[in-house]
Amino acid sequence: MAYYLVFLEPRNGLVAGVSADVWHRVQEQLFSGDRVAGFVAGSLSSGALDVLQGSGTVHHALSGRPAVPSDMELCRMLSELVRKEGCTDIFMAATAAGRRLAPAIAATLPASLLAGCTSAYPDEKVCRRYIHSGSVLAAYRPQSAIRIVLQGREHRRVTFSSLERPRCVAFQESPGILRDAAPLIRAIIATSSSEDISEAGIIVAGGRGMGDAGRFAMLEELANLLGGSVGASRSAVDEGWRPHSQQIGQTGKSVAPELYIACGISGAVQHLAGLASARTIVAINSDPYAPVFDVADYGIVGDVREVLPRLTDAVRDVLRKK
Amino acid sequence: MNIAVCICQVPDSASAVAVIDGALDMTRAAWVMNPYDEFAVEEAILLRDRFPGSTVTALGASPESGKDLLQKALAMGADRAFDVRSFSPLQDPFQTAWVLAEALRNLYGEALPDLVLCGRESLDFQNASVPAMLAGMLGMVFTGPVSALRAEGEHLELERETEGGTELLVARLPLVISTEKGLNTPRKTGIRQVMEARKKPLEILQASQPPPPKVSLESVETVSKKKRCRFAATPEELAGMLHADGHFRHISGED
Repeated sequence: MAYYLVFLEPRNGLVAGVSADVWHRVQEQLFSGDRVAGFVAGSLSSGALDVLQGSGTVHHALSGRPAVPSDMELCRMLSELVRKEGCTDIFMAATAAGRRLAPAIAATLPASLLAGCTSAYPDEKVCRRYIHSGSVLAAYRPQSAIRIVLQGREHRRVTFSSLERPRCVAFQESPGILRDAAPLIRAIIATSSSEDISEAGIIVAGGRGMGDAGRFAMLEELANLLGGSVGASRSAVDEGWRPHSQQIGQTGKSVAPELYIACGISGAVQHLAGLASARTIVAINSDPYAPVFDVADYGIVGDVREVLPRLTDAVRDVLRKK
Repeated sequence: MNIAVCICQVPDSASAVAVIDGALDMTRAAWVMNPYDEFAVEEAILLRDRFPGSTVTALGASPESGKDLLQKALAMGADRAFDVRSFSPLQDPFQTAWVLAEALRNLYGEALPDLVLCGRESLDFQNASVPAMLAGMLGMVFTGPVSALRAEGEHLELERETEGGTELLVARLPLVISTEKGLNTPRKTGIRQVMEARKKPLEILQASQPPPPKVSLESVETVSKKKRCRFAATPEELAGMLHADGHFRHISGED
């Protein structure tokens, strides 16, 4: 029987949407006898936990000290909770914070860390994930009694619904647990307006074939129309046309959109490495032999500068008729 | 400032990796320093040059690492290098971090280095776990992946990317940092640097037997991503195909 612990990340006083998704995915996979707990730290707006449906207990650590505890404090609190409660499986969203925290807890407990699984662990007892830039699919078997699972967007949204609500209890820290922690002072948080592409459901990406930075406005127009985000290949980033935060591929981000539209991207192995979890790929390229067409579901041969404005208009038309 | 850099080697191209009889075959691969580790080595050297009396120590623990990798770090400017050998191949990030943590304790004692730099992830297995695990084992503070770093004495000003944008952080040493692309431009090494590197100390450090791996690789299979591409003659036809196949299902039309 499993005892799940879901790490709930706060965002602006609420539970982050990705964390709520993980919570509900866990609720969906419960077997009789399984238990669920949640953990959240820091001050929350009233009613912030109302988004969580299903059974279980949410442990809320509210130290009253800095609003956001440091990674080290979180690691200690979570490890303590896991030991005290006897949790067997820790689930976290694969956010920047989750990616820092999960290995730290895995080293502390210790526990088996499973990240980037293509199938929803633990349906299968192994975690299948891509290695070597998406060219090899490997199956990993956890060896510890405690497992930590980092869940990314590749696990589709859930439609779990229940009338039950978890109860919330205050997390009691052991005395002295926060000693010598938090040497990391967060000074400023500068937020950019661009949406995070690793979470985007639709991505319109441009490469060298775009020709210059200005033409990315065409991609933004199509992305806005589709409710998606703009991404870029390495060469477009190296040219300085887009920031590195939008780079997709081996030295950029791995993405898992439902729809990926590659514009003027030839499809180098390094770029395709970031697309292993993309569901449907559309390629627009002037070279009919570009490798991107080998991995694409839909393609059109032509100059992106001519194809894109017409495609955007045509998409607007079909959406209007809908 | 005592700076340690943990580096490893990866195949220069994923296309050289094959699966033969259910096992990874790397015989066709040419090995290079993991690109993210180059940022770590470069940053270590920049810091060493800014703070007189600093030392950069490079450690390589992956079985393929050997001399070439460490020679490259020395040629880039590291002061000394250690080839951390284990009795059997390291099987997961936990074992790798464990062996590195032991090596750092042996080299630095209780004091530990002021700064440990690691690449964000290795491009072969892409776990991105070793840096934070290593920090956890050493009891040091971890942050990363860092895309900008400014040093002011004991304080470091850092930038890292999160979902909402870029976070600006101020951190105190000691620290373990993982390095992201954009942090710096790693220097190229010429024949002169390679010759000079040969005079620098490169030692072998024998690791103890690490605890069993926490995750085991059970099987591998090659992935064929080839799909049958349906070509559209015009952009209008393409939009129609995507719509007919339900790819715009979740999008509300604008008026």
